Amino acid sequence: MTPLVNPPRKSIHQIDARTKKRNAAEARFKAYGLAAITLGLFFLVVLFTTIIKSGLPAFTRTAVAVEMTLSPADHAAAEKQLMKTGAYQKLFVAAVQQQLRIDATDDAIQRLLGKVGGDIRAFYKENPSMIGKAHVFTLSASSRVDAYLNGKLTRETLVDSRFMQLSDLDLVDGLVDAGIIQSTFNWGFITGADSGVDNPGGAGIGASVVGSFYMMLVVLVLSLPIGVAASIYLEEFAPQNKFTDLIEVNISNLAAVPSIVFGILGLAVFIQFMHLPQSAPLVGGLVLTLMTLPTIIISTRAALKAVPPSIRDAALGLGASRTQAVFHHVLPLAMPGILTGTIIGLAQALGETAPLLLIGMVGFVARGYPTGLLDGFTEANSAMPAQIYTWAARADSAFYDKAWGGIIILLAFLIVMNIVAIILRRRFERRW
Amino acid sequence: MNTNHILSSFDRDLEGVQAHLMKMGGLVEAAIHDAANALENGDTELAEKTRKADRNIDALDELINEEAARLIALRAPTAIDLRLALSVLKISASLERIGDFAKNMAKRSLIVNAQSPVDGVPQTVRRMARLVEKMLADVLDAYMRRDDTLAAAIIQDDEDVDQMYNGLFREILTFMMEDPRSISACMHYHFMAKNVERMGDHVTAIAEQVIYLTTGQTPGAQRETRDLTSIEPALSAPEDK
Amino acid sequence: MKDNRIVERDVDNADIRINAKGVNVFYGDSHAIKDVSVDIPANAVTAFIGPSGCGKSTFLRCLNRMNDTISICRVTGDILLDGEDIYDKRVDPVQLRAKVGMVFQKPNPFPKSIFDNVAYGPRIHGLANTRAELNEIVESALRRAAIWDEVKDRLDAPGTGLSGGQQQRLCIARAVATAPDVLLMDEPCSALDPIATAQVEELIAELAENYAVVIVTHSMQQAARVSQKTAFFHLGSLVEFGETGQIFTNPKDPRTESYITGRIG
Repeated sequence: MTPLVNPPRKSIHQIDARTKKRNAAEARFKAYGLAAITLGLFFLVVLFTTIIKSGLPAFTRTAVAVEMTLSPADHAAAEKQLMKTGAYQKLFVAAVQQQLRIDATDDAIQRLLGKVGGDIRAFYKENPSMIGKAHVFTLSASSRVDAYLNGKLTRETLVDSRFMQLSDLDLVDGLVDAGIIQSTFNWGFITGADSGVDNPGGAGIGASVVGSFYMMLVVLVLSLPIGVAASIYLEEFAPQNKFTDLIEVNISNLAAVPSIVFGILGLAVFIQFMHLPQSAPLVGGLVLTLMTLPTIIISTRAALKAVPPSIRDAALGLGASRTQAVFHHVLPLAMPGILTGTIIGLAQALGETAPLLLIGMVGFVARGYPTGLLDGFTEANSAMPAQIYTWAARADSAFYDKAWGGIIILLAFLIVMNIVAIILRRRFERRW
Repeated sequence: MNTNHILSSFDRDLEGVQAHLMKMGGLVEAAIHDAANALENGDTELAEKTRKADRNIDALDELINEEAARLIALRAPTAIDLRLALSVLKISASLERIGDFAKNMAKRSLIVNAQSPVDGVPQTVRRMARLVEKMLADVLDAYMRRDDTLAAAIIQDDEDVDQMYNGLFREILTFMMEDPRSISACMHYHFMAKNVERMGDHVTAIAEQVIYLTTGQTPGAQRETRDLTSIEPALSAPEDK
Repeated sequence: MKDNRIVERDVDNADIRINAKGVNVFYGDSHAIKDVSVDIPANAVTAFIGPSGCGKSTFLRCLNRMNDTISICRVTGDILLDGEDIYDKRVDPVQLRAKVGMVFQKPNPFPKSIFDNVAYGPRIHGLANTRAELNEIVESALRRAAIWDEVKDRLDAPGTGLSGGQQQRLCIARAVATAPDVLLMDEPCSALDPIATAQVEELIAELAENYAVVIVTHSMQQAARVSQKTAFFHLGSLVEFGETGQIFTNPKDPRTESYITGRIG
């Protein structure tokens, strides 16, 4: 062995080349990290501003507010018509004409309105006492008016069609001046259900939110206990052998299986074989449970592994049985980790679209709220991501705004879920 | 057994304290030798030198005590190391006592040399001293070699010293009865003989420490004392001539 | 007044609590413990010393069947607790571990209150019928572990908030609370500072009046300080077992001598 010889002493006030190089490398690395974070933040900001900018129009709606008095005779006449809503629509057009100071044809006004006849009819059906009395209706304008007022449609880009003509825009301006056309908050978007392809103004996401909620309920109730039970068994009780190794590998593989595979599996097993109702949140929940389970199992096992073995030793050393050790000590300590894994799994499931499309939970089936508390599981409904997909795929560009708005609601739903999880985790979290 | 500690500084400490002990042993051997020679040859200068040299022995004893205390405090020795530390303390104490006896001998030889010597007695004392000197050399050797057989033999050798002392005791007694003028010198000779006999006992104690160090057992059965002067009335009360 | 020195040297005549004969332990193919026979006396401290990996901890964990939790571990030979084979088919390890308590290297209180830590054992074994009884058990266990005065005013505080030494004494209190016959301690002071170590050692000495204490330690000085009997393990074998004073002043086996004087690791 060669003896270690100290090199001649140098002042520590002088920084040598090697140290300089290392310091430079460190500074460079810090800069890279900072750059990466800045880039990430930049994209996040871009993403959020885009989402909010594009999505906000969905929350406002351009409405036509007009006072209308329906005489009993008109009511009776309209009810006799074959196209009842059409008749109401005509009555409303007449009311608009009455309040309008400028000239306009009925057709032109008709073009500016959304499908409002149904709303009027529904109002009088619910409030028959209002017949013969004056009432201010605030009803949707057509999506073209919306687009014009939002600046998406200009006089230059407008192409005359049966939906809108250049001259109509003058009318719109006039109506805005007269205070008949106004912008209001679109409660209907948050509370409503999907509308027809020709009525973007009436489209709402409420029904899909309920669908997603029921689905998440199914996923949570099924995947959390099953996942945690499976993890506890695998981690704490299962003998280490080839068989458990195989299970382990398969669980890891399942986590990587594309979601569409689970969708087609759900279609084949739950709907075609087990004859569960189509488009039902129950089936959606079952499919998403299958998808979420591997995530929950993997994260739960990691959480269980992270509990110091000394805690198990302590419990076993006191004469606690395996089960007691796990349920009294290990599981409570692993709970925060398990919750984190669960919330990640649920968030993933919440945003999943592909499998839902395969089992029929497409947007347009979300035509209304479930009729009962339990019916919510079995009645056809959609889910938020499927709804968003459906809207984005529709021809009318007004649905595009709705899709963005839907994404805001989806994110809000996710944030609420996360907050609940964080609160729960706080309550479980303990110091070692 | 592996002889080296994992911690080499521990070995160095042990070696250091033992080296000092050996040095002390050498000085004590020389002191016995010189004291005996000074007595036999009436060498006042040598006697004076021997008396002064005891200071070095005492200093070494102090040093060894200090080193052994440090060793025990800092190294927390166990088993063989503990026995070594303990035996070093005891051996150094014995050597120090032997040194004191040698010094005392040298002091007394200065006094007796000034008076008329008694024939034959200094030679016998010297012979005794030689024997003890050899025993001391042997016991230090046994210590270095961790030789408990040799140490046991040395304990037996002490009997010879005791025998010689018993003989000398009678001789001195006779001289004193024959010529009361020699009583003063004879008393000094007797003390010197007693010193040498005590040296022998201390060498025995060192030999016992060697056995303890090597085997971990203190030699159990106490050797019968051969200094009969204190128990035999025939010796303590001499018969009339 | 009794002469402690005589009491300490008198352990050979004491009752034998655990009697191990020809114990072998295998981890899969490796032979971890080779034919070890040891008699653990009652009311005394027995120390297991030896270099790392010599099998002392493994052997200790055989005494309350903590090795059962390792699936590839196999134990042969007889270990008798008060004359009864603890590896008998009729023995439930859960019940055994209540009789043979264990304290671990790292203080490992549950992340619960001090009270709940101590009360856990009595609760799962049903040692207390009423709240008052439970309080009494907890108090006496904490008193026995010489920590009562330090924690009596904050029994609801988390056990993990105590200092390292206090935590370890809390763990000892927790083990004592199940009324064991034997206390196994696996390097109980290795994570503690000297003052806390001294407190735990004093506690061990007190505990030995009521329990058979077996302690595994890396510190030979600690073994020398607290134990009456010492067993030296080397490469899975029991090299020497005897009275502590004898082991530390005059060991019979050269391997023991080499180890305790610091000549082999």
